[in-house]
Amino acid sequence: MAVPILKQGEFLIASIQAALSDHDLVDLRDELAGRIGRFRARGVVIDVTALDVLDSFGTRTLRGIAHTARLRGAKCVVVGIQPEVAFAMVQLGLSLDGVPTALDLEEGLFLLGARGGDGASAV
Amino acid sequence: MHSVDPSPIQHLMREMGIDEASVEYRKRIVGIEARDLERIGAVRELVVQNAERLTSSFFDYLAGLEEGRALSGDRVVLARARELKREHLVAMVQGNYGLEYARQRLELALLYNRVGLDLRVFLAAFHHLLERAGEILTRHSGLAPLEGFETFMSLKKVAFFDIGLIVDAIVFERERLIRQQQSAIRELSTPVLQIRDRMLLLPIIGVIDTARARLVTESLLRAIRDNRAKVVVMDITGVATIDSRVANHLIQTVTAARLMGASVIVTGLSAEVAQSLVALGIDLTKLNTVGDLQGGIEEAERSLGYQVLQRERPAIARGE
Amino acid sequence: MAHQPSSVPIERELDIVTARQKGRELAARLGFSSTDQTLLATAISELARNIVAYAGSGRIELSQVEEPGRRGIEIVALDAGPGIADVELALKDGYSTGNSLGVGLPGARRLMDDFELRSKLGVGTTVTAKKWLR
Repeated sequence: MAVPILKQGEFLIASIQAALSDHDLVDLRDELAGRIGRFRARGVVIDVTALDVLDSFGTRTLRGIAHTARLRGAKCVVVGIQPEVAFAMVQLGLSLDGVPTALDLEEGLFLLGARGGDGASAV
Repeated sequence: MHSVDPSPIQHLMREMGIDEASVEYRKRIVGIEARDLERIGAVRELVVQNAERLTSSFFDYLAGLEEGRALSGDRVVLARARELKREHLVAMVQGNYGLEYARQRLELALLYNRVGLDLRVFLAAFHHLLERAGEILTRHSGLAPLEGFETFMSLKKVAFFDIGLIVDAIVFERERLIRQQQSAIRELSTPVLQIRDRMLLLPIIGVIDTARARLVTESLLRAIRDNRAKVVVMDITGVATIDSRVANHLIQTVTAARLMGASVIVTGLSAEVAQSLVALGIDLTKLNTVGDLQGGIEEAERSLGYQVLQRERPAIARGE
Repeated sequence: MAHQPSSVPIERELDIVTARQKGRELAARLGFSSTDQTLLATAISELARNIVAYAGSGRIELSQVEEPGRRGIEIVALDAGPGIADVELALKDGYSTGNSLGVGLPGARRLMDDFELRSKLGVGTTVTAKKWLR
């Protein structure tokens, strides 16, 4: 599998590696949807620190993953969007509509664990 | 010491896009043809013999003008300039106006630029030199008046080819200074300040154009990562005018910060600006705005403090 | 001048990744800032994606360009696909006939400094885009 998924307590952590293909992202969505049920996960952190490009497809798929997770009963936080990537995304006119974001993995877990409601930085 | 080593000239030529093709194009513009080369060839000896005299006419003319002192005042620079100008006159009648010829013209241009030689004065002195050259041709070439005139016009084409290169180089160098200053000013006017742990203040002052907005956004995003910022207070009290374009830039900055997990509080939006934005149909409801800077900082502090208190207290929805 | 253009065939979505990596490498070599490298890579990604989505296959050509006073990168995205009937409409935000967000072409245009789209129905589409070193 292209994206390793770790289980930490009630949370799942997916660390996306660099140069991910479209298929890998779609696979990740399906894989996460399955595991959320199996592990009864409360939350999911998707770590995109290694991604150097988030184009329209990548952004849409991330949103899809977050919404799928929510439908399966887990909150989803996207963490680690790099400054350059964030800049390119807004230039492209992309946002993550309603998907909470955090600076890094630590912040993402904090957001899921310490806070009940949806994240502070929903985009 | 004052000789211009070859690397800056090569660099300048690359920056200005001066290569074989562009030099050929410049020659075509001024209309240098085979006929001209023949005519110039016929007076080559005469011009070379008088090169020293013509060089002096150029520098004497400069020395007689207040603005020309920039060059004539510095002996070392003057000596080098004289040497190059003499070489120039000899090269002018060799009939070979390629890349190397262009390089020599640029070397002299860089020297003029370094001493801040006034362009008007340079042109006047060069014209004066040409006038002397014309006199010499008429008196000593032994050509019939019409032939002499045609030969002079051929030489003048080369002179205008030279002027084109020199003026372009001087203008390019002066614009470089302006470009550097502009970017320095932009850099200086875009501070991102950390005012509390994990809290940044971004005061935006002056005019926001696309380039400035880009710089502001880039430095803010980097500061968010470096300071692990969670809240940013963006104060726009000092923004000169806010129209739909500026508003768009601001919204982009806020959106990018949010993508990195930082929330942004916008302060300093005056009643007039708010009303005009509403009238323009610009939707700012996505922005979290607070009246003044103080209120914004207080809210940012609350939002940071609230997270510390939350372990003991039930969750309270934040006003976002 | 000594810089050979590189050409990346775009046939599958995996090639999109190759194209944008090549673009980023070239941009880094020419001294583009890391932000500009990302903007370029993202634009290449969108253009390559467009080829896969609408034409099935094509190629991306990357080269260094020089003009008086400036240097930059040129991206040419070519395909022999169905072509675009209304170029103006295709460059409008939010317009998309395929399964995308409708930001592809207009988005790529915003990321670049110069952008030119030529298309002929039944013949194909060529996008030429440039970004200059600032």
